[in-house]
Amino acid sequence: MIGASLYITVCSARNRARVRLRRLREPRYLVGALAGLAYIYFSFFGRFRAQRASRRRRNAPMAAAAVAALVAGAPALIAIALMLLTMMAWLMPFDSGLLEFSKAEEQFLFPAPVSRRWLLVHRMLRSQLGMLFGAVVVALTAPSVSGYGRLRVSIAMWLLMCTTKVYFTGVTLARARLGAADARARRVAWMPLAAMSVALVIVGASVARAFAGRPYAGFRDVLTRLGSVAGSGASSIVMAPFLAVTRPLFAGWPQQYLIGLAGSAAVLVACAVWVLQSDAAFQEATTEVAERKSRERTTTSASYRVRGAAAWRLAATGRAEAAFIWKSAMQTLRIVDRRAIARIVTVVLALTIAASSIGRANGLVSVVGAFSIAASLFTVLMAPQVLRIDMRQDLQHLELLKTWPVPPSAVVRGEIVWPGVLITAIAWLTMAIAMALSATTFSGVAVTTRLSLGVSSMIVAPALVFAQLVVHNAAALIFPAWVPIGHQRPRGFEAVGQRLILLAATWLILLAIALPGGVVGGVIWFILRGFVGALAYVAAAGVAAVIIAVEVLVATEALGPAYERIDILAVERAE
Amino acid sequence: MALALEHLRRTFGDFVAVDDLSFTVGPREIVGLIGPNGAGKTTTLRALAGILRPTSGHVSIDGYDVTGQPIEAKRRLAFMPDEPHLFEYLTVDEHLRLTARLYEIPDVDRRAPPLLQELELDGKAGALPGELSRGMRQKVVIACGLIRDATTLLFDEPLTGLDPLGIRRMRETILARSRAGAAVLLSSHMLHLVEEICTRVIIMDRGRKIADGTFEELATRADLAAAGSSLEQIFLRVTGRDVGA
Repeated sequence: MIGASLYITVCSARNRARVRLRRLREPRYLVGALAGLAYIYFSFFGRFRAQRASRRRRNAPMAAAAVAALVAGAPALIAIALMLLTMMAWLMPFDSGLLEFSKAEEQFLFPAPVSRRWLLVHRMLRSQLGMLFGAVVVALTAPSVSGYGRLRVSIAMWLLMCTTKVYFTGVTLARARLGAADARARRVAWMPLAAMSVALVIVGASVARAFAGRPYAGFRDVLTRLGSVAGSGASSIVMAPFLAVTRPLFAGWPQQYLIGLAGSAAVLVACAVWVLQSDAAFQEATTEVAERKSRERTTTSASYRVRGAAAWRLAATGRAEAAFIWKSAMQTLRIVDRRAIARIVTVVLALTIAASSIGRANGLVSVVGAFSIAASLFTVLMAPQVLRIDMRQDLQHLELLKTWPVPPSAVVRGEIVWPGVLITAIAWLTMAIAMALSATTFSGVAVTTRLSLGVSSMIVAPALVFAQLVVHNAAALIFPAWVPIGHQRPRGFEAVGQRLILLAATWLILLAIALPGGVVGGVIWFILRGFVGALAYVAAAGVAAVIIAVEVLVATEALGPAYERIDILAVERAE
Repeated sequence: MALALEHLRRTFGDFVAVDDLSFTVGPREIVGLIGPNGAGKTTTLRALAGILRPTSGHVSIDGYDVTGQPIEAKRRLAFMPDEPHLFEYLTVDEHLRLTARLYEIPDVDRRAPPLLQELELDGKAGALPGELSRGMRQKVVIACGLIRDATTLLFDEPLTGLDPLGIRRMRETILARSRAGAAVLLSSHMLHLVEEICTRVIIMDRGRKIADGTFEELATRADLAAAGSSLEQIFLRVTGRDVGA
């Protein structure tokens, strides 16, 4: 039976790798993979090189002392954190994922003549590749000095992750039997919980003794005290398994590390034996997990709600764009709780009024003002990328959209109007708050200048928002295989690279769109500033916005043929 | 002719899904498009509906080329796919209204109630797709197709997910639309349905048309006469799958 499980695991991994390698033959994936790998190389290894260089420049004895303190105290700190996590596992309804069987596994393995124990072993084997990958990523990001050091951290991390996963599965299985009718089964299920509670009390008392009445002097002192808690008395006994799984991460090579690794492996074996002994609860536990997942799925899919009769009714006749705007608006109104939005807006406005009336002395106005400016910038520059209720989402329905007798450019325009209006409304709100508080945030700037700049930002904001939406939708139409459609979350180096390239291209095109308006606006400001002062900003922003708006309109017309040409298979292949 | 294909060819890379396919469907005709899996039926229907662009050849609806004059062609066409693609945030009634708006049908308020009743969706007008069974969602797709007076109806496995009563009602609906003058092209693996309601049958295999005619014409064709009297037997013979059957 192990052979069958290994067969599924190996074949799945091999086929996944084969598909990913095969698609590298297509330039878009190859370029994406190269960009992704380069990004990972420079963000990890490049960073380490820089860190090593800066370390060499620093005071070596001080660094050595800090590292020694970390190595001595960190296992205890992580062990206590692990202990709390293991206790939480009993209280919170989360599990390790080992009991979450896929639909295919349910269909093929559940009716198969195999034991429940084998199904558990199968899931453990299936999870190994993911955990190995996770362990390697942790080792890569760890500030280790050598390749072998990273390998050692990978192995230690892998054992720690395996143990955690198996332990959580044991908790899920035991939890299913806490209320079992059979008294013996109930006792067996409660025993680990009772042991964990006693252990927590012992460690909690030791920690309290170590810290009570003695003020601590920095993080190194905290680590030292925790190390003493873990290394003496009754707490050292109850913390032994937790220390055993964390020690190899910090142990020196070779003796300490190998001994630590043996200890960690022993804890893993103990957890695995406990889980395999609890397999009688398998049925109840898998049912519980399946029900919860099903509830979660239902919650996600049914998160749209028809709220009362106040829905906006679509008129029987009118422009096609309006139908798309109505459709997107319905989606937003049915997923967003309008009362919650009203509450948030009320709180934000109340905070703004309070800040402007009472907060000048204690700097509250400056904080809220700065936050509003940051929120405005984020809304204008990032929200068009994040809010995807446009073609990026509707390409899922391309088969239906393509049958509609609507001019293609009207489809493109209709798709971007609602998200543009929504983002602009949010940006205007945050900008209005920033303007209201600008007297304090920018106390050195004249009121006419502040107001002119605020109004100018409000004029330019929608133009920039719509320009970005056009770029994102153009990317979805011209390169559908590069853009995640709907709820897709593509994985792999090539997907990371594709996202980076797309983001860079988007910013570049946005810059190109904004440039003519920016240049003309700049010239207008230069000419008018001597005559109308700060009001020149408003005039310049108006002209720039009009130029960008015209570009956006032209772009939507130009995208019509792209929509007409888009092949549904290009979208399907990306899924 | 309401619907005409001329030398339609559609390839996906090196794979030829549809090759040199030509046929017409006239008003009041119900043509069954049958063939084994992978024969190219759905690709043909998608090309007809304007979802897939033909690699070569022409597709026209009421004389309007689907590629050259897509808006006029699509206005006359209703495509009911086998998978119900609905917007999960719009109710049944809103799907009908959206369709009516896009197809410029001003009297949706008059048309919707009897249609919902015909398809047994009355009482579900305010429901979101997530609250409907697969069969009901299929009926919503069909309702969106039938809310307008399309001259050409394309059905891709229209009975998938329907209960026995729904199947019977759907059969009557298709016949009624045909009697009213619509050209119907129906793709289905349910050969008894095709045999029962279709006036003509087109059999496809490996992207090509291998038989085209009324049931009687096919049954009396020299090379098929020995196959038997049912459409199933003819289908197996003409596609070369009757060995050992």
